[in-house]
Amino acid sequence: MSKSSQAVSATRSGMSSSAEQRKAYIQVDLLAIPLVVLLFAGIFSFHFALLVGDWDYWVDWRDRRWWPLVTPLAITVLPAVFSYVLWDKLRLPLGGTLTILCLTFAAWISRYLNFHLFADFPMNFVWPSTYIGLGLILDCMLLLTRSFFWTGLFGGFAVGAFLYPLNWSMLAPFQVPVEMHGTMLTVADTLGYEYIRTAIPEYVRIIEESTLRTFGEAVTPLTAVFAGFLNILNYWFWLWIGYLGTKAIWIRKIV
Amino acid sequence: MKTAAYSSPKTPWARFFLLLSLVAIIFSAYRVYQHATAFTVGLDYFSPEFQQYWMRLLYIQLPVLALAGAGIVGWLLVTRDRNLDKLEPAEELRRYFVLLSQILLFACIAYLTASPFTEADAAWHQVTVRDTDFTPTHIVLFYFAIPMFIMSGVAAFVYARTRLPQFADRVSLPFALLVAGPIMIMPNLGLNEWGHTFFYAEELFAAPIHWGFVLLGWSAFAAGGLLVQLLTRIVELTRLVSEDSAEPQKVLAAG
Repeated sequence: MSKSSQAVSATRSGMSSSAEQRKAYIQVDLLAIPLVVLLFAGIFSFHFALLVGDWDYWVDWRDRRWWPLVTPLAITVLPAVFSYVLWDKLRLPLGGTLTILCLTFAAWISRYLNFHLFADFPMNFVWPSTYIGLGLILDCMLLLTRSFFWTGLFGGFAVGAFLYPLNWSMLAPFQVPVEMHGTMLTVADTLGYEYIRTAIPEYVRIIEESTLRTFGEAVTPLTAVFAGFLNILNYWFWLWIGYLGTKAIWIRKIV
Repeated sequence: MKTAAYSSPKTPWARFFLLLSLVAIIFSAYRVYQHATAFTVGLDYFSPEFQQYWMRLLYIQLPVLALAGAGIVGWLLVTRDRNLDKLEPAEELRRYFVLLSQILLFACIAYLTASPFTEADAAWHQVTVRDTDFTPTHIVLFYFAIPMFIMSGVAAFVYARTRLPQFADRVSLPFALLVAGPIMIMPNLGLNEWGHTFFYAEELFAAPIHWGFVLLGWSAFAAGGLLVQLLTRIVELTRLVSEDSAEPQKVLAAG
């Protein structure tokens, strides 16, 4: 064993009093808490942008079929991963709310700075959806059941099922029918036609015109239930990744 | 290395905020420059204005960043602690505070890179079809912000390897993953640009061509493991032997 390893194994204290110990812990808090918040904001924003991206950037992308399916699968990842470390190591049921709150702050800053001020899209067209309620559901479920299994089963399902209703009040005005050049379509799709982008939603769906399905109809709750079902497995999988991520593994060399 | 008389370990807040201010000023300057010139002289790669305002910036920033990175890492290696076996607990604790402040700075740069500057690229490519890989948002994101991100991570990693006994002889796998993720974004950029050049000129942000970036972003999930490693050692170093002990450096357990 080398000298430096011996130094580690001989555990000694750098503290002389409890007051000094308290000061040290405050310093750790002052460093660790903003670190965690900034990392959550950065990672979640990056992850969400590259997996959900346009479905959340634009109001005309928030359809009844793909947006409520893709979004819960992506939004559950960080809450599951970091719930493991926060609950298992620190007994803090904050993984869902804190990570999604960080995403929300990052999203609002970016939409305003980048999509509105930089690229000149109206905020009415690029506002971020709300997901904080989904994080609260996950954390409350964990706090009440104290079980990752039940949190995945009920909380994971609820995230998929409630995403659309949670945003419904904000989205409803954009689903109102209007007539444009003799064709009936939603306000959201009208905005989409006015603001041509390089990734318009025709990439993933036919822009429906003049049928009741244009405005949601029965497909929406079906998608929500399907998303909820998938999300149970999704939560458990990412919880396992969170378990792997907290392993304090030391190796002798990289290669 | 000097072993000064005992003093309560403190985070170098003044130096931290100085560096943070520097980072804030540089990133803000890039943002203002991008806002002022991206849509005026940044649209046509073949125009003389583009060469003057954007390519010149690229040619200046790349060697500056390479020299700065090599300088910081070189300085950390040259001034390494060669007597880690004689390190006092109070000094070791102070170095943990320095390391945490470095990782906090890394988290600040991670947020700026992964959220506002990544999504500036998303917003830009929604309104323009690229005629070059070196678009105004790419020159800022891929050739300035991500190298800064890499530099801050590598500097923290090398600091730990050269100044902390726990990290000197062994490699922390979570820390290595946390640093390797941003580094591997640069090779993955090759795939991204190759694809965008040949078959995907537009920008659907959630497209499969971007999923390599997501995978590398997930390397940050190892942050939990690193925090466990850091906090475990900090707890050992801040443990009190007895309340009335005036001597700060007590051997708790002879290895």
